[in-house]
Amino acid sequence: MLQILIQGLLLSGLYALIAMGFTLIFSVGRVLNLAYGTYLLAGGYTYFYFAQQLGLPKFAGVGLAAVVGAAMGLAKFQAIVKPLKGNHVAVEISTLILAVVVQAGIIFRFGDSSKILLPIVPGVGRVADIAIPYSNLIAAIVSWVILIALYVFARSTHIGRAMRAVSMDPKGAALSGVDTDRVNAFTWGISGTLGAVAGVFFASYTQLYPGMWVAPLIIAVAVVIVGGIGSIFGTLIVAHIVGFMEIITSSLIAPELRGVFTMILIIGVLIARPHGLFGREEP
Amino acid sequence: MSAALEVNTLFKHFGGLMATDGLSFRLEPGESVGLIGPNGAGKTTVFSLIMGELRPTSGSIRLDGAELTALSTPARIRAGVSRTYQVPRPFPEISVAENIRVGMMPDSIRGMVMRGPDHARERNLALSVGFTEADLDRVPAELSMGDLRKLEMARTMATEPKVMLLDEVFAGLTVGEIARISDLIQSMRTNGMTFLIVSHDLKALEPLIDRAIAIDRGRMITQGRFADVMGNQAVRTSYLGGAA
Amino acid sequence: MNLRRYHFALWVLFIAGLFLLPWFVSKGTLRTFIFANYLAIFAISWDVLSGRTGYISFGHPFLIGIGAYTTAILTKHFDVPVEMSIPIAVLATMLGGVIVLVPALRIKGSYFALVTLALMELMYQLVQVIRPDLTGGTRGMSGLPTLTRGAVNGYYLSVTLMVVIALSMWLLMRTRIGTALSAIGMNEEAVSGSGLSIVRLKMFAFLASAFVAGLGGAFYVHYLGSVAPRALFDINMVFTIIVAALIGGVSTIVGPVLGAFFLTFLLEYLRPYLPGAERYLIYGSIALVLYMYQPRGLIHIATGVWDRLRRL
Repeated sequence: MLQILIQGLLLSGLYALIAMGFTLIFSVGRVLNLAYGTYLLAGGYTYFYFAQQLGLPKFAGVGLAAVVGAAMGLAKFQAIVKPLKGNHVAVEISTLILAVVVQAGIIFRFGDSSKILLPIVPGVGRVADIAIPYSNLIAAIVSWVILIALYVFARSTHIGRAMRAVSMDPKGAALSGVDTDRVNAFTWGISGTLGAVAGVFFASYTQLYPGMWVAPLIIAVAVVIVGGIGSIFGTLIVAHIVGFMEIITSSLIAPELRGVFTMILIIGVLIARPHGLFGREEP
Repeated sequence: MSAALEVNTLFKHFGGLMATDGLSFRLEPGESVGLIGPNGAGKTTVFSLIMGELRPTSGSIRLDGAELTALSTPARIRAGVSRTYQVPRPFPEISVAENIRVGMMPDSIRGMVMRGPDHARERNLALSVGFTEADLDRVPAELSMGDLRKLEMARTMATEPKVMLLDEVFAGLTVGEIARISDLIQSMRTNGMTFLIVSHDLKALEPLIDRAIAIDRGRMITQGRFADVMGNQAVRTSYLGGAA
Repeated sequence: MNLRRYHFALWVLFIAGLFLLPWFVSKGTLRTFIFANYLAIFAISWDVLSGRTGYISFGHPFLIGIGAYTTAILTKHFDVPVEMSIPIAVLATMLGGVIVLVPALRIKGSYFALVTLALMELMYQLVQVIRPDLTGGTRGMSGLPTLTRGAVNGYYLSVTLMVVIALSMWLLMRTRIGTALSAIGMNEEAVSGSGLSIVRLKMFAFLASAFVAGLGGAFYVHYLGSVAPRALFDINMVFTIIVAALIGGVSTIVGPVLGAFFLTFLLEYLRPYLPGAERYLIYGSIALVLYMYQPRGLIHIATGVWDRLRRL
């Protein structure tokens, strides 16, 4: 029981971080970035390359992963999203194609086989006989720190408020002098950073392989759809629902079924409540 | 071709807002009625309720005595009532002829597949609203607002309605185009079509209608001959702000 | 129906070319063509649903997989002859089409696309866990009966199937139903405002698409003789199908066929230079650039060039 609680909390924190970058784009840019998973992929491999192959310090590896993620986000916005001018279907299709391209690029550079990422912080702690890898603990703590920082950022900085304004009413924000293109570019950069950092942790949680982008994408999709657009609170709650259900399913029923609940959640919620559980209805 | 349309104590609430507040009226077969009122009076809501695009909170709509209230929008169109939209909604990637074709289709897969399009009737409909032969192959992106209204009109006529609801058919049209559409409406009136027309262009509206119904905040203020309705003090207050 | 003489001429040329092909190319290339034929069938199926009605399916392998697995299980475990199992598989796939239709009655756009993606992933996971004794679990099934022996026969079967499907769908979509389905993709409310029941039209599109997907999936399995979940319910598979339809030109039936051939040959041509999955790097980049440049595909570019030539 305690084991499920601890594992659930650790995993859910990570899922919240994964979903946050995705929901940012969905709420500010109003588009689904199906290439979101490739930030995680790129982040994981960047860390692997610098920290493990070149032997740079681990925090430098995480930092470089963040930089790569931000660059990818900005590039994607400038090259794909902006030229397509809010054509949702076109953005989704192009980002899906892009995801496959990035995956192929990774295979091209690093090969097809999966890599083991050395834990960011080695060692295992114990709470009442339950093993807690420090690495997972750090991942959860960092996730929470980032989430709180993001919350404060969105409320107290100028650009954060501009982001919130654009997410609520893009036209109104533009009319009142907010440079929506700049806000969007910034959001894509942040989203890429979050995704790439989440990727480092996610890869050390599971393993690093070229197809690693699909599962986190589905998790992000589930969290955003069920949690509603642009709701940090909803994102947190649903990340915990998804995380705990995965842990419960895999430890009590069967490990192979751990993802099934997530799919059923997506399908069920979208059919029953097309705007999500906590979502606001688009007028 | 004629039919009577009857609206009975129609209520529609949006939350606390009464968009339609117990409205009742009747259009006799072959009659043409203007529906007038200020912005937000509920004219377009009445159209949407008649077409089944909105469900009334209570009340009923009948066409020639037959209950429409439970029917879907396509079923109401099949029954013989059809509308145009204030903002034209063409199918942007297909030609004028094909846009009209969609309105002419039977509502059965078999019918659509087994019989080809009636090019002659598509052409006649297009010409009757004022398109030229060359316009048939143009796509909506190449059309002016006036052309889009004509297309909207033609597609509505294609569904073979007995009662037509026209929502701001003259908005954005040139004087020539207004005259053309007016002539078309007049000739359809002679053939017995029943009309309910919303227009801000009262000058263009007046010759097209037998009588007028004035509404405000979802309620009827008065109805009768156009001149009498326009002379009514309550109408002047609400509609013209008392200034005219 | 709007048929012109040059339509017949082009079809006759195209079909004649395809049927004469085995005399001119090697067996290896022929195998590539077989794959192109099946890809064309899947892309046609996607086009009928997503290209026309705008309900983008990111989970088309869900439908293909139902067809493939149904006939595989029936022939392998229940000794049902192929002549029986394929029709049953097609019916089962159409039932799957109804499952995909249900969300389409309530949600559109991005959300619908996501549901189809989730359906595919769900299928992928369930196939491995539920009754692995029947489905073969993670490894899938092999040793299934094959319909033909040798590349030439396999080619003729696949090309016949593809041509029959392409031609009949092309003819079907040139009737008024094609116009009505396109209209749904452009403005659903206006279709309903023209007196047409959109539920019925969507149902038709989904069933027609599922029919083609089931047929393609079932025949494909009996060509390969095996089925594996990772190869089938894969995002790369979705990608290949969608890109084939998009590159060729959606909502045209002919476009997806051209796209499927174009892509298969691109892959084949790149094989000597990039032996592994890296080919997708070039392949995807070309697809992305082409899609950004002309979202309506090769066929649109071709007709544009043709029009310009005629005007000279």
